[in-house]
Order: sequence, then C-alpha cells, then structure tokens
Amino acid sequence: MAQCVQSVHEFIQDSFVPMVAVLCSEDAEKVTRKNNLNFSELLRPFCRLTSEGHMRDPNNQVQVVKNLRISVNNVVTRPSVPASGTPSLAQRLLLSEVVSTCQPAEGGVANVITAGDYDLNISATTPWFEAYRETFLQSMPAADHEFLNHYLACLLVVSSSEAVPVEKFLKLSQEQHRIQHSGEYTNPKWFIPNTLKYYVLLHDMSQGDEHRADSVYEDMKQRYGAQGCYLLKVNSRTAAAGADEQIPDPWSQYLHKSSLQSQDHYEESASVLANNTAVENNVGGTPELDGHHSEERDGSLVNSLDSTHPLQLDTSGDTPGSLDALRAVAVETKAGTAAAAAASHGACLTLNDHDRIRQFIQEFTFRGLLPHIEKNIRQLNDQLVSRKGLSRSLFSATKKWFGGGKVPEKSIAELKNTSGLLYPPEAPELQIRKMADLCFLVQHYELAYSCYHTAKKDFLSDQAMLYAAGALEMAAVSAFLQGGAPRPYPAHYMDTAIQTYRDVCKNMHLAERCALLSAEILKSQAKFSDAATLLIKMTSEDCDLRSALLLEQAAHCFINMRNPMVRKFAFHMILAGHRFSKAGQKRHALRCYCQAMQVYKGKGWSLAEDHINFTIGRQSFTLRQPENAVSAFRHILTNESQQASSQQAAFLREYLYVYKNVTGVCDVALPQLPLPYINSSATRVYFGHERRLAEGEKQAATHVSLDQEFDRDLAAMWRDLEEQVVASANRGVVPATFQATQCCLNSQTDNLRFPLAVVEEPIIVEVVFRNPLKVPLVLSDVSLLWKFTLKDFSRPQDAAVGDALAFSNEKETLVPGTKQSDDIIATEVIPEFFLNPEETKVARLKLLPHQTGQLNILGLVYNLASTPSTGGTTVSSSAALKSDGPSPADGTSVRGRQDLEIQGPRLNQTKEEKTSVSHGPDRRLDPTITPPMPLLEVFFLQFPTALLCGEIRKAYVEFCNVSGVPLCGLRVVSTHPDFFTFGSSSLATPLTPLSPTSFENCSAYKTLATPPGATPGSVAAVTLVSAGDFGLGEGGSGTSNGVAEIPLEDRVLKPGQSTQLPLWLRGPDHEGVHEINFLFYYESAVKGGKISHRVLRHTVFICASRSLCVRATACRSNTLPEEEAEEEDERRNGSMLVFVDVENINTNEAGVREFHIAQVSSSSKQWRLHRCINPAEDKDCKLNSRERGKLCFRATRCKPVQATSAAIEKYIFADLSLGNEQIISSTTPCADFFFRRCPPSDSRRPPVAVETQGRLSRSQGAGPGGGAEDLTSLVRKCNEVDLDIIVLWKAFVVEDNKQVILEGQLHVALQTIGKEACSLTQKEEAQEMVLLKFKPELPPPMTRPSMEQLSHLIKTNLHYPESYRHPFIHKSLCLVPVTLTLSNCSLAQVDVIIDLRHKTTSPESLEVHGSFTWLGQTQYKLQLRAQEVMRVPLRACFLHAGVYNLGTPRVFAKLADQGAMCETSQQTATPALIIIINDT
Amino acid sequence: MAVCIAVIAKENYPLYIRSVPTQNELKFHYTVHTSLDVVEEKISAVGKAMADQRELYLGLLYPTEDYKVYGYVTNSKMFRKLHNSFTDVMCNPFYNPGDTIQSKAFDGMVSAMMVQAS
Repeated sequence: MAQCVQSVHEFIQDSFVPMVAVLCSEDAEKVTRKNNLNFSELLRPFCRLTSEGHMRDPNNQVQVVKNLRISVNNVVTRPSVPASGTPSLAQRLLLSEVVSTCQPAEGGVANVITAGDYDLNISATTPWFEAYRETFLQSMPAADHEFLNHYLACLLVVSSSEAVPVEKFLKLSQEQHRIQHSGEYTNPKWFIPNTLKYYVLLHDMSQGDEHRADSVYEDMKQRYGAQGCYLLKVNSRTAAAGADEQIPDPWSQYLHKSSLQSQDHYEESASVLANNTAVENNVGGTPELDGHHSEERDGSLVNSLDSTHPLQLDTSGDTPGSLDALRAVAVETKAGTAAAAAASHGACLTLNDHDRIRQFIQEFTFRGLLPHIEKNIRQLNDQLVSRKGLSRSLFSATKKWFGGGKVPEKSIAELKNTSGLLYPPEAPELQIRKMADLCFLVQHYELAYSCYHTAKKDFLSDQAMLYAAGALEMAAVSAFLQGGAPRPYPAHYMDTAIQTYRDVCKNMHLAERCALLSAEILKSQAKFSDAATLLIKMTSEDCDLRSALLLEQAAHCFINMRNPMVRKFAFHMILAGHRFSKAGQKRHALRCYCQAMQVYKGKGWSLAEDHINFTIGRQSFTLRQPENAVSAFRHILTNESQQASSQQAAFLREYLYVYKNVTGVCDVALPQLPLPYINSSATRVYFGHERRLAEGEKQAATHVSLDQEFDRDLAAMWRDLEEQVVASANRGVVPATFQATQCCLNSQTDNLRFPLAVVEEPIIVEVVFRNPLKVPLVLSDVSLLWKFTLKDFSRPQDAAVGDALAFSNEKETLVPGTKQSDDIIATEVIPEFFLNPEETKVARLKLLPHQTGQLNILGLVYNLASTPSTGGTTVSSSAALKSDGPSPADGTSVRGRQDLEIQGPRLNQTKEEKTSVSHGPDRRLDPTITPPMPLLEVFFLQFPTALLCGEIRKAYVEFCNVSGVPLCGLRVVSTHPDFFTFGSSSLATPLTPLSPTSFENCSAYKTLATPPGATPGSVAAVTLVSAGDFGLGEGGSGTSNGVAEIPLEDRVLKPGQSTQLPLWLRGPDHEGVHEINFLFYYESAVKGGKISHRVLRHTVFICASRSLCVRATACRSNTLPEEEAEEEDERRNGSMLVFVDVENINTNEAGVREFHIAQVSSSSKQWRLHRCINPAEDKDCKLNSRERGKLCFRATRCKPVQATSAAIEKYIFADLSLGNEQIISSTTPCADFFFRRCPPSDSRRPPVAVETQGRLSRSQGAGPGGGAEDLTSLVRKCNEVDLDIIVLWKAFVVEDNKQVILEGQLHVALQTIGKEACSLTQKEEAQEMVLLKFKPELPPPMTRPSMEQLSHLIKTNLHYPESYRHPFIHKSLCLVPVTLTLSNCSLAQVDVIIDLRHKTTSPESLEVHGSFTWLGQTQYKLQLRAQEVMRVPLRACFLHAGVYNLGTPRVFAKLADQGAMCETSQQTATPALIIIINDT
Repeated sequence: MAVCIAVIAKENYPLYIRSVPTQNELKFHYTVHTSLDVVEEKISAVGKAMADQRELYLGLLYPTEDYKVYGYVTNSKMFRKLHNSFTDVMCNPFYNPGDTIQSKAFDGMVSAMMVQAS
C-alpha cells in the first residue's frame, strides 16, 4: 500500500466522526447563498477543532478529546442507498469520477526502489486511492446496525432578518421532530430519540439591523439557554468594499476536489463504466481490436449521455440536499468549465467572519455537542447497569453471562436465516452498541472497546450476524486506537467481520469498508503480506474499479515488504491495470501497465512483455497519446517476437491502424516505421547503368554488377591492375592522389571518401530488408529519400558555395503517387514489394541525377501493409476479424520512412580509438555528382570459351562511347597479358578482313605461298624484327606489366562513336579453366574533371585443353662445317643441332582428329634455324592421338653483322615451313604472342646473363681473381644458347560434322646445350608451396662451375679420312694424318693439354686388339683465345688393317687465369672410327 | 501432471518455457514469473551458511486459483527426470550456458511430463 498523507489514526478518526444535521430557514439559506454556499458547506472548512475538549466518562474520569472533527450535513430525507448493500449507480459514478480526476502529477514524487537487479520508479503516493477511500467512506449510507453515522445533533438556522425568528425556530424544531419521529422518513437516521437541537441565529452584517439581532439573541438565550443557541454574524464584507481584497478560499479543497476534471475524462469514465463489459478480458487471450471500436461506442454514448444523464435521474427532484457531494459533481460535470466560476466561494466573508464561524463550531461542540454526548453516555450506562441490575462493571457482567455458557452451535443455514434479523431501533440490545459508538466518537476507545466486545457477544448469541460483524469491526478498530496498546490488535476480528459481511450478509459495501480499515491498520504494523492478502481477497468480479484500486494497493504492499517482491508487484499491477481498463480508468490502467513494464522490460519474458507493450499501445492510443502508442507497438514488432503468427498479424494490424491515425493527425514529416528490418550495413551502392550482357552475338564486358559477391582478393587484384594501367598512363608513376575506382560500394569497401557519381548516370542502392514477423509484409511505392545540394563544379569553388541550393524529395514523398519533379534527380519507385514471413530480400532502388552537386541518400519511403489486398486465405481470415469490428486489414497501409544510417568501420588506429568504441564515417550514401564523363562500353564478338593450349583465335572487340563526352587514352591491362594481342602498331596494312563474317575459315596468320620449286623444310626465311614494334616497350627485358594501348584511330572515340578492332587470342599453355581479367582504362578528352579516369572491367573464363607437347634439345654439332667460303663465319661460330620432339597429348579424341606441324620457326638474337635435317621423308608432319614425332634441325649462329651494331636488340625470326605455305612468324599475331610469352622465358633466363659481358670485360681488365661467380657465368655462358623455337601447328577438328582447322603455336625456349626444354612448363607448385621463411634467405653459395660445365669448354673434332687403304705387304706401318680441331667455346682464354698416350689402365684399350699408336709429340700444351679454333696435325700409326677408334686423345682444359684449378677432362667426342684396309 | 514447465536462469530470465494449453500461455508466463519472488524469498531465507546443504525441494510456492506452482523438487521422480535432462543439456558442448534451451531430447522429456492435451 502506498504511503498516505494521513496517518492511520487520523484516517480512522476521520472515518467516524459525529454527524450533525442542519435545518435551515429559507431566509438563512439566502444569506449563505450570497457566498455561493449553503450553510453546511459554509461550516465545512471549520469543522476540525483545533483545541482540546474535555468530558467525563461514566466513571467520572476526565477524557480528553483531541483534534475532533464533526461532520455537518443538510438533512436529506431520501434514502441514498438501497438496503441491499451494493453501491448504487450514482455512487459508482461518483467514485469513478473521483478516481479518474485524481491523476498522478506530472513529474511528481517517485520512489526509486531497488530490489535485486531491478530499479523501479514507483509513485510514492496514490492520491486517487485516498480520494476514493474518503469519498467511499463519506458516501456510506447510514445503516441500522450501527450508529456511527447517525445524526447526533441538529442545527436549526434562522436568519435574523426573519420577521419573528423565534417562531421560525419553533417551526424548524417541529420540522425536525416530524422528520425524526413521524415515521414518514427512514432517512436520515438519528442517533438518540432526543436529538440535540442547537439554535443558530444567522445575521447578515451587510443587511440586517445588528441591534435587533442582538436582542433576538438575548431572547433566545432566555428561551433555550445560553448553551443551546448562538448568534452567528456573517457577510460583513460588502461586495463593493473589498473586491480586490484577497481572501483565502478554504472551501475549494472541500467542494471542488473532484471538479477540476476536463470533460473528456468524465465522458470516458462514465461511458465505460456503463459499458464495462465492452472491454474484454485480455489476459491470456488474443487481444481484440477494440481500441478504436470502443472509442466509437464512447462517442455514441457521450451523445446519449447528453440527453439523458444518468445522474440527472437521481437529482432531478428539487428536494433539498440529496447526497450533496453527488449533486455537486453532477452539476459541475454538466457545467464543464464551471469550476472557475464556482471558485468565488465566500466572497462576502472577511477573515473576521471566518474566525466567527470557527468560534461558533467550537462553541457548539464544546458547549452543546460534547455535554450532550456525555449526558447520553451516562444515561445509557445507567440504563444498562440498571437493566441488567447485576454489576456496575460491564466486564464482570458480561463474564457472568457468557463465561460458562457456550454459544449454542448453529448450522450455517440457520445463520443465514438470522442474518437478516433486525432489532427495533430502541431495542435494548442496541443500547450498548449505541453507547460504544458514542464513546468511540468522543475518542474514549477503551470504554468503546469493552462495549463493542460486550455487544459482539450479545449479537453473536442472538445470531444477529450483521450486528455482530459491525461490533467486531469496531472492536478491532477501537482496540487498535487505544493508546498505550494494552492488547494486541485483534486481526481475526476483522477477518471474521469481513467474512461475515461478505458471505453471510452479502454486503460488499461494509466488507469493503472493513477491509480498507484493516488493510490500513495492518500496513501501519508493517504486516504488508497480510494486508496484500486481505486486499486481494476483496477483489471481485462485480466491481472493477474497487478491484483495480485494491489490487494496486496490494501491489504496493508487495513492493513495500522487507524483501520487496518485485514480480508479485508487477503481476498485481498488471491485474490492476486490467481492471482499471475494464472500469474505464484508462489513464490509471496505462500507468499501472507502465509501472509493471519496468519489471518485465528486457528480462527475457517476451510473451509478457509483448502483452504489456500491446496494452500500453492500445491504452495510449485511446487516450490520444498516439506517439506513445506507436512506440509501444513498435517495440512489439521489432522485438524478436515469439508470438504466434496470428498474434503477430493482430499486432501488426493494430499497429497499422494506430499508425494511420497518427499520421492522419500530423502531416509535416513522415514518421519512422519499424518494419521491415533494414540491414543497413549490408546496403550496397552501385554507380552506373545496369549492364546488358549480351546483344545478339555481341558479348558485353562483364564489368561490375550488383549480382556479384564482393571478393577481397578480386578487389585487390583489380586495384593492382588499375594501379598498373594508371602508372602506365602517367609515364610509369602512380599519382599520389590515386584511388582505385569503386563501382559498387558495400560494407567491405573503403567508404571513407565521398564516392563520385556522374551526372545522367544512375545510382542504384540495394537495400536488404528482413521481415522479422511470421506474417507477410507488403511494401508499396518504395522509393529513396534524398537531399541534394546543387553545385556547379565548372565554376570556381567560392562561387559554388554562394549559390548552393538544397533540395529534398521529403515533401513530395509524403503523399504516395504524386509524381515528383524529376528535373533534379529522377527517383524510381517500386510499386510493390512482397516480403514473405521471416524472409530476407533485397530491393534495388534507382536514382538518376540530372544536375551536379552533393547528394545525400537519407532513407526510404514506403507504404507498409500487412497483407496483400487480394489473396485466398487472408481474405477469409480478415473477414472473420471483421465480425469483431472494422478490420483494418483491408488495404490499410501506412506511409512512413526509415532512415538508412550506416555505421562506418570501427576505428582501431590510435590507442584512444582502441580503448574506446568509435566508428569512422561511412559515405556510401553521399555521392558527389560530377560533370559528365565519357562512358565506354566494350563488346566482344566471336569470343571463344574453349581453346586448345596454344591455339590462336581471332576475335573482334567493339569499343563504344555511349556518353556525350569524347573519350581518349584507351588502354587495357590484363592478368594474362600473353592471352591476347591487338596486333602490332607497326602493321601498315590491316591484314584482316574488315567484317568478321568474311573471316571464317581464314587463317589467323599471315601466310605466303612457298615457291613451287623450293623443297619444303630446307630453306629458312629470315626476318629481323625489333620487339619494340609489338607494343611491349623493351620486349623481354622490360617488366612487361601487361598494359597495352589500344590502337584507336585518332586516339579519340567521339560521343556515340564505336569502333571495331581485331583481337587475337592464344590459348593458355596450361590446361584447365583460366579466369582472365581485363581492365579497360580511359580518360575524358576534356581534362580537369573530378574523375581523372574511368575503368571498365571484364572477366572471361577460358577452358584450355591439351594440344601438343613440344620438347626440344640442342646439342653441339661435332661435324666439321663444310668447307665453303661463305660458311666460314658459321664454322667459326659453330652450329648446333636442334631436336624437336612433338607429342600429341590431346585427350579429346572425338574432337581433334590430327595435328599437323605446319612450320617450325626460331627466334633469337644470335641463332637461327638453318635447315631441316630430318631424315624422314614425310614433310608434313602429322600426329594422331598419342603419337609423337621427332624433327631435327640445324641451327647456326648468326652473322656478326647481324649480331652487332644497332640490331643487337633485334630478334631474328627464321621460318622453316613444313607445308606448302609459309607463315610469316615475324608479324602479328605470331610474333606478338612470342613476345608476350614473357613470364616463362623471362623467369627462366638467369638475370646475370645480360650483364655477363660487362663483367667479363671488367674481370679481364682487373686481372685474375675475378671470383668464382664470374667464372661460373663465364663457363655457363659457353653452354648457353638463347634460341626460341616456335612450333606452328594446325589441328583438324570435327565439330558438328564439319571439319574445322584450328591453328596454334607453341614456344620452347632453349637455353642450355644438352638440356631438354619443354613447351609445357613443369609443375611449379612445388616451388610455390615454399614454407614461409622468416629469416632472410642466405645468398646462394659461390658455386664453382661444375665439372660437367667445365667439360664443355673445348669442342674437339677429329678430321680424318673415313677409310684408308694401305698395302701392309709393302709397308708394315701405316701412317694416317689426322687433324684435331680444337675450338674454344668460351669467351675466355683456355689452357689446353692434349694427352695422346693411351691409358694403360683403361680396360677398353687392352681390348682393342692391335691398337694403334700416335706418332710424334704425345702431349701438347696450348692456349686458346676466346672462340679460337686451332688445328693440331697428328699422325696415327697402324700395324694391321681393321677398324680403329681414333677418339683416344684426352683433352684437358682449364681457364687460363684460374691457375689454381686443375684441368678438366673435356668431353670426348663420339667414337671416331677409321677403317684401314689392307690394299693388296 | 504438469501443465507448464519452465526452466529459469540464475538471472531470472526464462531458459525454457513450455505450457500445454497454449491459448493460456501468457497467463502461465505471468504465473511463473510471479512465483520467482517466492523462490527468491525461500532461497534468501535459508541463508548463506546453509547454502551448500540446502534442500533443493522448495515445495509449493504459490497456489493460484486453478493451479499450484512448485519449486524445484528432488524427491519426486518427475523433477529428477527434469533435472537429469537439464544436466544433459548443460553437458552438451554446443550449448552455451545462458542461452535458451533448444533441445529435442529436452522437449520430448518435457512433453512426457505434461498433461496430454487432446
């Protein structure tokens, strides 16, 4: 129970006060009317006595009467309450009125109670309850079984202006007597037969003659005694005299406690009270849609109330004084705002008059009333004592009567029968009760208690249950009120009393009074639990208001316990709120629910929480607090609701209905909608047109689309590519301001800067909606909400600031359907958007800016509806709901907005940012609209999806400038620069047919028919080509970043212009699916824009299948070059054999029938293929599946002329055609792809190779000791060939019963003599999977040149006749001259030792039967200069005919300046066999 | 038989609530929530010293007009079963203590304890 203003004692004392009736003459009434008051009202503020009174009890003990209050009322002869004990309608209305007007003050005192983890904010006091209680107790009808509110005295008031006041007094006295004794009236009830009459002469100071009044008063004194009459002088203020004088108005708080209400409160309470079944019980059930429904009924009821006010029925008669308070309420509610007018009470009274009235009351009480009571108590006491005649002591008397005898047991039925027992008013049984009541009224509680106690026993013995209950109640109260507490408070008396009142007497009224008293007493004794139980017991179905108030008090009891029971508090608050709402006390209901909400909020009790929120929402709505209603409903809907779908649907409908009414009220800005949930961080923004992917045969560049997922690796790759191409466009330097172009912004992209969008190009915002509910949602007229600041970027900055104009479409979107002014930004509207239950779906919304400036996308505007207007099942369900009331389901949609607020990434740079949670900006939705930029579209024609490895295919690419601005600087960069080429720019004549259609079955290569006479494969056509011609800068030596400028005519693409270019593709060398990314770069021809360049992305997937595998080996030719003059140089430079091993590894047997090797070409700076020395006759090398063929070529070193001078960086292309037409390998596309093959050849070529020469010369100059590194390279150098073999092939493929010839080329780079090179690079995974090394890698150890390498320093050749005839008969010794040719392969001086001695240890030399011997010098020491060729004449001596191996000389070589190093045996040549024939 | 079974977390939020007459679910929620006051009272009444040997049986907590609310009981098979099942749930390595219980086994066991709604 909440704290009360009054203490318990005060409260109980004030509940039972002596009642004084007033009978007033008409003239006297007129006098008081001047003050807008009747006589009893006039006295009311002064009815509390400030001084102490004294009286003597029957035992002559002085009893002090403190703080006594008397109640003065007009005599009302009509019965106020039916005898049934249930409150009348009028009384109910009054109580309801009192409660509803008493609302908690705004921001009033609130207790913060902390219980466990709950912090509750609870109103400290409940004034409405006190008001209710006071009114309730005051309006208690006088009952027969108790006398507390019977009139003890009667004031007879006559005005001094009366002609004969004494006569009037007489008349009034007779009137009083008639009322009391004639038996005509059952009401009012009088305490004692001889009621105290007190004569009051009322004198109006402003009118009457004071002397006359005084003389009349003297007369009265003589007639009635000085203690029985009084002269009251009032109205001493003239109206004119002190109009401006401020007089305190003590009446207002007594008379207008309940009159400050506004009209609608009253209407609400009155109507709903009358219809209290209209609000149904919602606890546990599905809430009905009766919020608006009941309101409508309210409206109709209010109208009906106007005509037939229920209160008017009670007060229609002109009978003076019914329940005055009730009438006052009725009058004032009808008057509505009459409260202000009524405020001028006591206008004619001065402060002196107030004092006089106060004095009058005191005089009356002390001189009149108290002695009267005292006298009566004595009389009654005497009566009782004499009647019983036994003892003076009541206690002993009662003990004697009942001490031994037990009350005979009676059945319940009998009890019920006797409950209605009525004693006659003057019955002796009642005398003791009367005495007790008198004692109680004058605060003699001890005596009262003993009397009540006695009376109780009396009544019980008579089975007069009503009387007994009354006695019990008062006994308990008086026991409590006894000072010094001689006995404990008998709570069980109260319980019995309540039970009796309620169950036996069926008098809820009395039971309620009893409970209120008892609860208050229990509360004062801190027995909160008992009080709560008592209060809860008193709740019943018949009276909602009472139940609500008592439940609320019970809830307060729970929270005030020593261990606050928070949850019980909350639960009873909810119950109270529910009953309040049934009683029509909407404000109180709302308050209760709000208080309970504090307990349930956020604790996981979602079902309860939803229910409370829902109720709050509805109550707020009916109380016209739509904002609160909306927020409460919003809470239900945004929560992860566990409600059933039907419940959710109901919530949603209700919400929409409420919302609609709210928005109907305010039309200024659209409110926020809670549904559907928008995952704002997942919002993506796309700049640019939606791409058309294919247009007939054309295939558009894929670019970026919203359908693609963001991939961090891919983004990094594109960024790298863009950086490369920007660097190449800016002469190799990436500008400091470089930022990668982002076409599609999402949560993972860098959104710190304002993105740049281009005017007249759409901006697409993809919003992710999620429907958290189990019911479908329909959004309609969805569009973006934006703000736009106009800026002209072409003008200087300060000017732009001056005329910055801001626009927004907020106003236009208020009303759906109105076409917006699209001249600034065209906003696309999505007419309808469905969201299934619990679905996540994206919507794409488009904006098309027509002006430059700064755009801010604020949010979304849409209509929200629960169900589509048509639909089978939903219609039936909504029809079912319609029966309950007007269902908002049909087409109710509300318009609202939701803002898109994107939180940037969490900052984590500085320490401050790390320790706090701060987020960076995210400017995804704030694009800057820049002036027009060129827009490129790229289409590919005849672009294959599958290729054989190395296959060459020609495709076309079309560039199209679709903007209004010329475009230039078109470049392309790719992840696979070796995949494609646009051809060399040096190409004078376009080789290819202009239209792609005429191209079919035409070779991609440029060919020349071989002259008919020439033998295929024998003549090598030689062309000299510089790598620079192929657009690769410095070809192989450059970094080859893969950027290619696209050869446009005039280098500019004009607006609307499109151009088609050929594009050659070469299948990747490795089989499998390859993702190839192109990035097209272009700039505006108009410089100085905000955007420096734009890019266009394209990704293709090429499936490469195996074709041929080419392996090539080079080895030194040991044969002596032919003795021809022009071959002199070649002989000096040496020649080489190249073996090319081609294998068909194609696995697709059905497709590819066979491969033809059409041509083998070489490309090198030093070597060229010379001729085909294939022994086989088949010129056209055909390879079926799994076949392999071998080709053998001789290669020669190029002429020094070619190798020197300016042409040193030029490549020599030599073509050896095996078919009947020569493919010119030095032109596009063959050479392009040769130069683009870079990665393998570049990586394999040791970087030192190039600088060796420089180093060599340096080391030569510096003398010996150049180091092993030099040595190594030097040695390696002599084994190096730098020859690339290009194998051009044709494949015959059957495709759709048609034979198609495919062409291709494979490259093999030969680098070292004797080492096999393969077109298929070996699996490099092993290298790529290197473990991470955290230590810096050690420099590779200084490797000494291996023995093997060193053994290649010198090439030896024996020159001798193949067969030699010698007549051994004639001459036994056969001498044959043999020339040993030594050629130094290296570039350094080499010391050579030739040892001709046969190895004795060698087993094979022993085998040779009859071995030969070398004649002459057996050991030579020579020095060979770089690349010097030296011949050493030798002579061999044979003894027999036979076959000999001449290859016995051992040659040791060492580098001349490497003295320390021992000689290395040089590789011996193949066996040199000589046949010696015996010539006979 | 039980009409409503709830497992409440230490912090007084529901880990699991299941009731059989589903149309009255809200009322059961309220009832369970309210009875927590009594549980709290009973637990605090025992005091800290007795905390370890505290009898887990709390008995009748809160009689309402229609139902009786019982606290945790060990001497009846019904509650032991619930306890064991709850232990199983807690032993599940994928269960995060403090989350609402979503377990088929637990559901099944609770259903077996419930009044069989026809």
